[in-house]
Amino acid sequence: MAVIRDVMPAFDLLQPSSAADAQKLLQQHGEEAWVMAGGLDSFDWLKDRIKKPKVLVDLSGIDELKGIRTNGDGVEIGAMTTLTEIANHPVIKSQYGLLSQAVELVASPQIRNQGTLGGNVSQDARCWYYRDGWPCYRAGGNICYADTPVGRNREHAIFGANRCVAVHPSDAAPALIALDAKFVIQTPKGERTVDAEDYFLGPEIDITRLNILQSGDLLTAIRIPSTFSGAKFYFEKVRDRNVWDFALMNVASAMVVSGGNIDRIRIAVSAVAPKPMRLRAVEDAVRGKPADATTGTMAGNLAVQGAVPLQFNAYKIPLMRNLVKRAIGGVQEATWTS
Amino acid sequence: MSEIPELKTTDSTPKTVTRRRFILGVIASGGVVAAANYKFISSAVHGQMSSAGERLITINVNGMQRRVDVMKQETLAWTLRYKLGLTGTKLGCDRAECGACTVLIDDVPHYSCSTLTHTVRGRKVTTVEGLASADGKLHPIQQAVVDEQGFQCAFCMSGFIMSAVGFLKANPNPTRTELAHGISGNLCRCQDYNKILDAMMRGAEYMRRA
Amino acid sequence: MLENGQKEPTKPKPSERVYGAGYKLIGKNYPTNDMLAKVTGKAKYAEDFRAEGMLFCRLVLSPVPHARIKRVHLDDALAIPGVKAILTADDIPAQADSMNDNGTVIKASKWGERALTNEPLYQGDPILAVAAVDELTCAEAIEKIRIDFEHLPFVIDPLESLRPGGPNAREDGNVWVRPEPPNPPIPQLTKVKWTEQDFADYDKGNLPMGHAPDEWSFGDIDAGFKNAALILDETFITPDVSHQCLEPRTAMAYWQNGKLFLHSGTQSTFQTKPAIAKWMNIDVDKVVFISEYTGGGFGSKITGGITMIIPALLSKKLNAPVMMRISREEEHYIGRARPSVEGRMKIGFAKDGRITAIDMFTVCNSGAYDAQADGASAARIVSLLYQPPAMRQRAISVMTNTPPRSAQSAPGGMQGVTIIEPILAKAARRLGVDQVALRRVNCPEGKAEFGAAVKGVRGHTTSCFLKEALDRGAEQFKWQEKAARQPKRSGTLARGVGVSLSCFVGGTVGFDGLLVITPQGRVQFQSGIGNLGTESVIDVHRAGAEVLGVPWEVCDVVWGDTSKNFPYTCASGGSQTTHAMSRASHAVATECKLKLQEIAAKSLGGKPEDYEVANQRVFRKGGGAGLSFAQAAQRAIQLGGIYDGHDVTPDVNKQTKASVAALAGQGLVVSAKDKYPRDGQTYSYVASFAEVEVDIETGKYYILDFLAYADVGTVMHPAALGGQILGRSTLGIAHAIGQKWVYDPHYGVPVAKRFYQNRPPTILDVPNDMQWEALDIPDPETPVGARGVGEPPVGGGCAAILNALADAVGDEIFRRAPVNSDTILTSLEAGHPMQHPLMAHI
Repeated sequence: MAVIRDVMPAFDLLQPSSAADAQKLLQQHGEEAWVMAGGLDSFDWLKDRIKKPKVLVDLSGIDELKGIRTNGDGVEIGAMTTLTEIANHPVIKSQYGLLSQAVELVASPQIRNQGTLGGNVSQDARCWYYRDGWPCYRAGGNICYADTPVGRNREHAIFGANRCVAVHPSDAAPALIALDAKFVIQTPKGERTVDAEDYFLGPEIDITRLNILQSGDLLTAIRIPSTFSGAKFYFEKVRDRNVWDFALMNVASAMVVSGGNIDRIRIAVSAVAPKPMRLRAVEDAVRGKPADATTGTMAGNLAVQGAVPLQFNAYKIPLMRNLVKRAIGGVQEATWTS
Repeated sequence: MSEIPELKTTDSTPKTVTRRRFILGVIASGGVVAAANYKFISSAVHGQMSSAGERLITINVNGMQRRVDVMKQETLAWTLRYKLGLTGTKLGCDRAECGACTVLIDDVPHYSCSTLTHTVRGRKVTTVEGLASADGKLHPIQQAVVDEQGFQCAFCMSGFIMSAVGFLKANPNPTRTELAHGISGNLCRCQDYNKILDAMMRGAEYMRRA
Repeated sequence: MLENGQKEPTKPKPSERVYGAGYKLIGKNYPTNDMLAKVTGKAKYAEDFRAEGMLFCRLVLSPVPHARIKRVHLDDALAIPGVKAILTADDIPAQADSMNDNGTVIKASKWGERALTNEPLYQGDPILAVAAVDELTCAEAIEKIRIDFEHLPFVIDPLESLRPGGPNAREDGNVWVRPEPPNPPIPQLTKVKWTEQDFADYDKGNLPMGHAPDEWSFGDIDAGFKNAALILDETFITPDVSHQCLEPRTAMAYWQNGKLFLHSGTQSTFQTKPAIAKWMNIDVDKVVFISEYTGGGFGSKITGGITMIIPALLSKKLNAPVMMRISREEEHYIGRARPSVEGRMKIGFAKDGRITAIDMFTVCNSGAYDAQADGASAARIVSLLYQPPAMRQRAISVMTNTPPRSAQSAPGGMQGVTIIEPILAKAARRLGVDQVALRRVNCPEGKAEFGAAVKGVRGHTTSCFLKEALDRGAEQFKWQEKAARQPKRSGTLARGVGVSLSCFVGGTVGFDGLLVITPQGRVQFQSGIGNLGTESVIDVHRAGAEVLGVPWEVCDVVWGDTSKNFPYTCASGGSQTTHAMSRASHAVATECKLKLQEIAAKSLGGKPEDYEVANQRVFRKGGGAGLSFAQAAQRAIQLGGIYDGHDVTPDVNKQTKASVAALAGQGLVVSAKDKYPRDGQTYSYVASFAEVEVDIETGKYYILDFLAYADVGTVMHPAALGGQILGRSTLGIAHAIGQKWVYDPHYGVPVAKRFYQNRPPTILDVPNDMQWEALDIPDPETPVGARGVGEPPVGGGCAAILNALADAVGDEIFRRAPVNSDTILTSLEAGHPMQHPLMAHI
């Protein structure tokens, strides 16, 4: 079969206006349905004609999935809220700035105007072999093309590889993990809430998907508790281009420091492993220690223990060490004045 | 030597796809119909909707209600260019990367190559053709591009202009750096970025004065 | 965070100074005639045209890097309703032989690229084209096509092909050789393998140097090295970089009255017409080529693209207009790219940094199809730009199973500068010589010599004022202050500054100008130049308007459609247009003045020299009787013959003659050939300066400052010039900061086909206050003094960034471009240059 790209296959477009209707449609069409949020990840699969769903369920008309609600204990963000709205929201900026920083670095303005938080955390892997339609493990095959003696894997994983070495591409995910966010999922059996880090799946559990959503499930909202409201945040995304690029690595941390010592901390990285990685060992090691360069250096060294570089991504080890160091101990600022 | 693997597809396409010609030409904007009439809320749960009748929709483009036959998988860029004759909107990548297709939807810049036309019913679409006033007076941003002679081949130009108009509506008084961030979702392969910024900064000033 | 740390610019806007002293139009900004159409979205590029009953076609590309097609199974596809035809390689006509301007017949190369192939030479090589009522039908039909391939050996890395027993990209060879004169200079494919011994130092990152078919030298190299105070021997690799014009090479075609009407983008409206005739093997008079607007070229659309004949052939077959849209992914394959050059240079330096000898060796990845000679071209640029007293160059151009390459802005020049400049920067540090001083002592000046001697004589330039550009640039950039600034490292940041020289060819001669003064008194310039955004399509005619002394408001420029009759025009490649066509415009305007004087004398008595031309009139010197331009044009029509185009001056090209004949009777029709003398070859020059800031903990860096100071002769149009200087500097910068190919060598296919993967620069990747300036010193060998500008800045853009990076983080960090976080972090971590120095496409 000859290959042709850049012509979307025909599908039926269903545009429910409520989450309940959406759920009904998803149940009705089961595996034949493709759920579309902002569409920016979906369109690639469709235009490449690698995925040809019969039915596309477009969530963009469901108002109840949009918007940011603040309440006594944190904020609730509808899964279909755009990244631009989140980046500009006054409460998120002032209290949960870690998230606004993270989403502001996603792709480009137009993508943030259309892309949603739910879509950002639920997007698929960007391994260039997998996305080009190669029949790899993640696509249901029995080989990883990136992890061969000559495979090109500059942007791939140094942790958590299990047959597949793709990394999780979301910028928002590590920030949400650091903020201890909860993901609200509507399932055929009712509503379910999971911790942010439990939303993501590694290849050891299921190599064909990056999150726990099953057919018929709908991510409806993300709740950020007030636990780290106004805490000390650090987010850094390192990427090749300064706009429209996926991270070579992201780090996100939320710290409550009292008397110079780290009282509470959550820290996560992405583009390091097949799922966004919470660094529990680092959290445990730095708790109670001063939030300074020494602790940062210790944390950085600890963070990279066990890393397994591939042929072209060994740079990710110093990168992760340094990003974790900075997230905890801060950046040693330059002192030049001009 | 090795053989490249067969590319995998998940083929669940119905074997009898309703196929209609892409190029049915421009369907003249007929009677003004409220777009909301076509937002079939209840019919959606009833499932299949693939008849041509349901593809005939009305969208608001540059202040006009346009009746147009739109396939379910059709992008707004395609509808604008191939159905409504608005070829000022360009397709540079068709993958939400280059920005040449940028239009405003309810005053917000979007990549029209990555927006399904069926999702803009009831929303206001503005393209580069809709910027100048009826008497031909250029939009301040357009005038600024003329005055600064920004851009070279100009294939990216309408996208950049729409991004700038959208950004400046929300941020009328940006610094040069802020404006650069505001229009950073557009690529210029002639890489005339400095001259584009000169033009857009001047345009911002014109817009504030207007 | 650096992300938000970009500073607000404080410097003055570039170039508010006055250019073109003494001229009314030259050197002045003006809104070009196409601006209004562009800004309102009305400008029509190829894909914007529609025709009644238009069909669509899509390509089937090879999924494999090298194979022979055994059989194609088309029946299932053809059975789909709406499918109209499938074009195969067997439907492509054999290319016609062509004739050069001297009348020499050039045989079509047997290795030349055709629009479709039965032996795909790279993944993405077009095999079939399917026409149908719409693209969805095309796509569904294509997915019903099965192709039986016989897989053939492939290679993507030129060095792998040169190894003993290494694979060849084609069965009949792997290396291009250019036959010795008097044989026509058509490259021939041959087989070249090096020895194991040649590869002995491969793992150390030293480029192997086996037999190279292209070699020249001048001066006493041995003596040069013997007298050197410092000798460096370094390897440096430049990347393959796709042109990625924003407008893909879409084409639409239809036939009417036996003539082909073809819409597509091009860098030369005039030259593309005969190219289409050659590819279609039809008479050139049967072709009407329309290209009003072209969305970028950069060398990839010099005469459009060969695939444009596919819709033409389908249209003929189906008797309906056919639109072939090209996708971005297809553009990645067929849209051309700059070849990577692996270079090794041994350079001797005197104590003051003066080069004593250069021994240069290059391996060029020529891709599939046509031979690229970027390595040899790189050597010529190096020999000019740094004026070595002795130099040897050896070059080998290797075919690989990767997409076809073509010229890209400064072909070879960019790579030559990028390979040598980091070595010069290192030498300056070793010798304790200031970087600018080291460039200055090696800088060309005046009628500078370059290349090898031909019949005992080396070529020389028309002029060169680069030293002045370097000095003024250093002053404007505050080089001394920035270079001396201490500390270079603070916190996690390291800063560095870099300077580079750069040059490329800047003009040709001998083309024709053609204008009409209409009976309404308007001056109409016929412009066969492609409208690809440089604005030379319009700018050059300001030279003619200046000669005639007319205000620009009475001038029209006709362009973009060969049925509108153009003169013999250069292709806009090699930065020749501004120079070549401003001369032609000057020549035709000068001739027009003579004709006006003759008409006045014939009408009002006296001799032609009794009359002068000014204020849109021709009138008796010192005042008295005269004719307005409108009256003179009406009179020309009455006079006929040489005045209204019924006769033509014999020395113009035959295509110009045909255009004159077609315009006959429309007014005063004047054509002229550029016969102005020129001593030397025309080159343009740039001195480039950059400052970068590297975060040594992330490897991330930002360009803080950039200045390109140009020596391009008279400034014709400052806004367009500034756009060219900075745009092409950024094209060069892209090679330093991230644009590249990534190939999986096992399967021989690319993995980075998307913009987010192959990374052309965004607006946030360069400083938002880049600076440019130009000397505005006229070239003495051309009447207007203007030289070309497109290509000279490219190498300087790339090399200035690389040199600044090395200044910031050290000389032993990178040996290839682009340089990114991975390179910087890996090398800093390891304490030596990054891994895989010679591996292609990582």
